[in-house]
Amino acid sequence: MKNYNRAEILISGVGVTSAIGQGKEDFVSGLLQGKHAFEVMKRPGRQIPHIDSENEHGSPFLGAEISSLTLPDSLPRGLLRTASFSSQVALASLHEAWNDANLNGIDPVKIGLVVGGSNFQQREIVQTQKAFHERLSFLRPAYAFTFLDSDLCGLCTEYFGIKGLAFTIGGASASGQVAILRAAQAVQSGEVDFCIGMGALMDLSYWELQGFRNLGAMGPQRFTGEPALACRPFDKDRDGFIYGESCGAVVVERADSRQTHIKNPYARISGWAMTVDGNRNPNSSLDGEVRVIEKALSQAGLKTNQIDYINSHGTGSVTGDQIEVDAFSICGLNDAFINATKSLTGHGLSSAGAVEVIATLLQMKAGFLHPTKNLENPVEPVCNWVSHKSISHEIKNSINMSMGFGGINTAICLQKY
Amino acid sequence: MSKDEIITIIAEHVRAVVPTLEAHQFSHDDKLKELGANSVDRSEILMMTMESLSLKISLVDLASARNIGELAGILREKLQSS
Repeated sequence: MKNYNRAEILISGVGVTSAIGQGKEDFVSGLLQGKHAFEVMKRPGRQIPHIDSENEHGSPFLGAEISSLTLPDSLPRGLLRTASFSSQVALASLHEAWNDANLNGIDPVKIGLVVGGSNFQQREIVQTQKAFHERLSFLRPAYAFTFLDSDLCGLCTEYFGIKGLAFTIGGASASGQVAILRAAQAVQSGEVDFCIGMGALMDLSYWELQGFRNLGAMGPQRFTGEPALACRPFDKDRDGFIYGESCGAVVVERADSRQTHIKNPYARISGWAMTVDGNRNPNSSLDGEVRVIEKALSQAGLKTNQIDYINSHGTGSVTGDQIEVDAFSICGLNDAFINATKSLTGHGLSSAGAVEVIATLLQMKAGFLHPTKNLENPVEPVCNWVSHKSISHEIKNSINMSMGFGGINTAICLQKY
Repeated sequence: MSKDEIITIIAEHVRAVVPTLEAHQFSHDDKLKELGANSVDRSEILMMTMESLSLKISLVDLASARNIGELAGILREKLQSS
């Protein structure tokens, strides 16, 4: 196996499904307009079974759900019958990325798939267990493998004919970015020539939602009756993340992977890094975030003043957002434009890192930066926020941040090609 | 319940699991495997059929069936003895 340590790593295709748009055109238009889809969640399995109206903690969960999913006509209905919602959204997103990168005709043994996320089919499992609770002996046999996250890999590799490698990889809310990092490593090492990095849709049930609420990680506490105001990363009135359904897939390849060079790739992955904090808990670490920024910039060979755009992790977490801007300040990144994609999409958890890399690539391509919804009174220190309206800006070098429970920090530097 | 009624139930579940057979006219000689049902599909069809018949038996009891007609025959016997 060749080693391509100095190889140029490119992103040649993207596919995205979110509550503010399916497909890159819809998604980028949603970003530009500062669209949102936050409301009381309706998907079965996200309602508290017995609401105690006297108890504010029993209020319905707010979030952003995909209103209608369009699946490619070519998907066999027999395959979809037992496919989880996460898998269906993955098939749709990968279908877009696959065609975008024109992977048809590539030797399938040279293509890999890395899916970011673990335990991402929780609602599906809760619903199945509810349906078969009193008729366990008739439990559908396919449950024996559909409960596994890796079933998503099986479905995607079967449908697209991928024969290089495929697995899931967990990094909590950094999973999507961890998957892209692993995909970049897979093409750099020569394991495969093309690798899809995906952030899987984290399909939360009311159990996980209640857990996040009880932990104090998920909002809203103040804006319970005002869904449009609830998600407010980096604003002084933020009180936790708001969930949002999404999935993103990017195709990563070396510049020499094809006989004929790819035309107009989205960007070059100039650097990436991962650090961990040695901490099992959900709290983030200033030291870990500073180190991951410095490491990614060092790999990219960039000075901080060359970064002109930051796609923040920015969830709306009271302490997490503060630590993140402190890290930007320590690293001298205050002059770069910053926005928070989650203010529009909600927090996709396992998908977030991949969806936000796609948001960066599409902004890079379109020459604008999207607004950060509800950013009325930004936290200090002062940063160069894109707040109420989108602005024109040609991104040359960007950095994307992702952090996950359990002390995980990742960063990716993207460079205009 | 007659054998033909059981075949109708089996056919309904086969169509749900293998949608390409929606217009297929089922006969006693049909073999699920040859109709395009893989091993998981066949397990799913059998489990759905057993639930429709409220029949709790082991899948092993159905293993000797060589076609849909024989499968319906075994299921009918099990129903009568249950």
